[in-house]
Amino acid sequence: MHRHVVLCWALVIVAPTVAWSQEPATREEVDRQRREQQAKEVKSYQPGGLERAMNFAENKAIFLLDREGIHPKLGSLTTGSGFAYGVGFRDRDLFSNKGALELWAAGSIKRYWATEARLTFPRLANNHLYLETWASHRDYPQENFFGLGPDSNRDDQSDYAIRTNHFGGRAGVRPFEHLLVGGAMEYLEPKLGAGENDRVPSVPDVFSPFDVPGITSRSDFLRSSGFIEVDYREPLNAKRGGWYRFDFSHYDDHSTNRFTFNRLDADVRQFFGFLAGRRVIAARLFVSTSDTEAGQTMPFFFMPTLGGNDTLRGFKEYRFRAPHAILAQAEYRWEIWSGFDGALFYDAGKVANERSDLNFQDLEKDYGIGFRFNTNSGVVFRVDAAFGSADGKHLYMVVGGIF
Amino acid sequence: MVTRARCVSAGAARDLAGRMSRAAIIGLLAVATVSMPRSASPRFYPDDPLWVDDDRAMPVKAVPIEDTNGFDFVVNTFAQPGERRDVRALNVNTVDEVPDSSWFTNRIGRKAMSVAEIVRGPDRAESVDLAGWKVSGGKTTGVQPGFRMTDPQGQTYQIEIDPPSNPELASGAEIIGTAFYHAIGYHVVDVYLAEIDRESLVIADGATIRDPLNGRRRSMKKYDLDNVFNRAARLENGHYRVLVSRFAPGAPLGNFRYYGKRPDDPNDLVEHEHRRELRGARVFGAWLNHDDSRGVNSLDMLETTNGRTWIKHYMFDFGSILGSGTIFAQRHRSGNEYIFEQKPGWLSMVTLGLYVRPWMTIDYPDVPPSVGRLEADRFDPLTWKPEYPNPAFANMRPDDAFWAARIVSKFSDEAIRSIVEKARYSDRAATDFVTNTIIARRNKVVAAWINQVCPVADVALSADGSLTFTNAAVDAMAATPPERYSLNWFRFDNATDQRTPVGGAMTVSSGSARVPEGLTGDYIGVSVTATHPQQPGWTTPSTFFFRRASGGWSLVGVERGSAKTSES
Repeated sequence: MHRHVVLCWALVIVAPTVAWSQEPATREEVDRQRREQQAKEVKSYQPGGLERAMNFAENKAIFLLDREGIHPKLGSLTTGSGFAYGVGFRDRDLFSNKGALELWAAGSIKRYWATEARLTFPRLANNHLYLETWASHRDYPQENFFGLGPDSNRDDQSDYAIRTNHFGGRAGVRPFEHLLVGGAMEYLEPKLGAGENDRVPSVPDVFSPFDVPGITSRSDFLRSSGFIEVDYREPLNAKRGGWYRFDFSHYDDHSTNRFTFNRLDADVRQFFGFLAGRRVIAARLFVSTSDTEAGQTMPFFFMPTLGGNDTLRGFKEYRFRAPHAILAQAEYRWEIWSGFDGALFYDAGKVANERSDLNFQDLEKDYGIGFRFNTNSGVVFRVDAAFGSADGKHLYMVVGGIF
Repeated sequence: MVTRARCVSAGAARDLAGRMSRAAIIGLLAVATVSMPRSASPRFYPDDPLWVDDDRAMPVKAVPIEDTNGFDFVVNTFAQPGERRDVRALNVNTVDEVPDSSWFTNRIGRKAMSVAEIVRGPDRAESVDLAGWKVSGGKTTGVQPGFRMTDPQGQTYQIEIDPPSNPELASGAEIIGTAFYHAIGYHVVDVYLAEIDRESLVIADGATIRDPLNGRRRSMKKYDLDNVFNRAARLENGHYRVLVSRFAPGAPLGNFRYYGKRPDDPNDLVEHEHRRELRGARVFGAWLNHDDSRGVNSLDMLETTNGRTWIKHYMFDFGSILGSGTIFAQRHRSGNEYIFEQKPGWLSMVTLGLYVRPWMTIDYPDVPPSVGRLEADRFDPLTWKPEYPNPAFANMRPDDAFWAARIVSKFSDEAIRSIVEKARYSDRAATDFVTNTIIARRNKVVAAWINQVCPVADVALSADGSLTFTNAAVDAMAATPPERYSLNWFRFDNATDQRTPVGGAMTVSSGSARVPEGLTGDYIGVSVTATHPQQPGWTTPSTFFFRRASGGWSLVGVERGSAKTSES
């Protein structure tokens, strides 16, 4: 035992020396030992679940909607169609990248569906010439109709179906950076039928055919148009600048020669940015007017409409319809975070049976608040809540912007 | 049986005693060994201070870690990665400096650099001539239009072009930023300005591009170049001004992160958020408005030296520094607020925008489009922010900031102007404005961060006991001299890390003093503070340790501000 005790004390005394001798004597040696230790623990990097998901989203999924070849088609088909989904095919490097072909077919949750083929040459002649041609079929089975004119009754809600084939072409010349001037020809084959919304009656069940011009029409139309467009928004999801478009169209009834008419649309949008562009006052004035020659009538389904998520937001889709219309909209937009804005809006407008009534008196009005997810190129998704109209409150969740 | 049993018992007892003795010995040895580390690990080793961190020592087998923009944003904005701790940078040497390493090479901070050296930066050549070069591929990252070219020797370069709306903007920023960051000490790639004739370009056989429409790699075609030049600013002679960036040698390993360590690199000993040069990059970022200081704008390259592989860490992509947003003038928010910041956002939401963020009212000067959006009047270094939180920046302490601010102070007006002239702005007003703004921002940056600790520097103790030092803030004209300096001397036990005060507080009015009588030993030290009515930070002591050397005393340790270390 004594021997062991001595040994123990000897070790206690000697141990530090032993330990010291094992300690590195230099800083370089310290670091070397740490690296040798770490070398035993190295392992391949393993990304976590979030990282893998983000990588997939950014490197793969982000290309899904905009990808070449077959791609999903998501969004809406027209105001009130509801969310639509389908499949498309695109090829954007035709003719040495000068042309783009887009084909798609999609159906919505409200049984709207459409298919389209479009060939576009957007940047010919050193970006001075724009050409496109298209063919499409649109099947809108439950379009709202409340009667014509500003005094239509909300309780008269009915619906109709319209199925239209379109074949057309458009050419535009861009003499200056912000100016586009052009014209288009389009052949339209609208076919009307009974609405398919089970909750409302069909148009003929509520209205006399005399009150709804064109409801029994089987006419085809050749639409020829000319337009001028000025666009100096900065950026496209504008913080300043303006966008003006004037579009004159002549609709020629090729079948019955009863529904030939002219229509002029003027759409003026102006954007005033302040506080570093993080506050924007956006204003829009839209005016549509039309005329017919003696013995001709403008069919109701080509008349301008107001109501819905992009016009009078306090009213149902297509709540007002007449040969003439005026719409004024204003929004105060404020940035909350990058890519996320709030908006207070005010809409006012009316339709008119006579052009002389196209003024700012007796306008239908609404106001509301909205929130938008956006990029510099536009609004991706928005939620607008509208109040203050005779139609009550309305909430919209929309893929895309308004103006 | 009894006898046998007794014998057995005695034997067992002896075995037990033996086992107990052995256990006791092992236990005592363990206790003795464990109790020794403090004394076994001296604060200063004989080779301190180290000026080279041999972080190429262990061979590396690594695979690329390529973060996406979205992941980097999400993680740094919402997850607070890395360790947030008020601890001294873990890669500094004992004199509180950054050793040369695969991350950093001391340049202007440690030695005088001529203006020509500073301007030349990393460039191997005076200029490049693109004659005979071929287009070898598309550009894979970033928003600036561009492509790759290969010179006749097979070296690959990235070619980038400015947008028509802001000619010279991003290329100028890249040239300027590269020269600054190189002189500071970071690893950067060679960048040059050149002119290119669109018509003379030849696409090499086998050139590929990642299709911008679907992300798939395919053969490069002529219209891919059209897509680039359609978005490019054209010179009056029909050519294009291009930025030519030399590819770094080695195999790309993606980017580094401002937090954690590479798990596949045995040389990567220090969590990146605790690296001095990454923490201090906040100061440089603020100075030059490098709001894009983030992991995805870095580059790790696997290099091979003498058959051993190691990772070299680069800073790159300075195209959106200063007033540049790369393809547009920098956003008003940039440098002032993170992309996503809770408080101002919620305030803005609930007040319907009546809450106005301060940066929204900055009135940026009317300057040429090549400058973008840059100013110095409203610039506040202390509140400057990158695009989203940066863990290393968040960990920056006064000592890190002092280190960086002192480097910033080394850039003279002449050097700054010469660097800006390297950008070859066609409008003289652009050169003047950028130069003057960088100078004004330099002055603000240095004043803000060099004064947070007692800025005593260049400390030397002669064999006869004369102490001399300078005041880095005064030298940088960031402060007037103090009323007085207070010195507290001590004897230092290197084995136990114990300080024994010697003499009382000594007060001097200038940068010289004498070691008090009776202060002897192998190690001595002095803790210095200064009194200045406008500089409260100067009361935060800076402490200097000296080791007896053959010719007198050598500076072996510096400690600024909090003495917290990784152990604390």
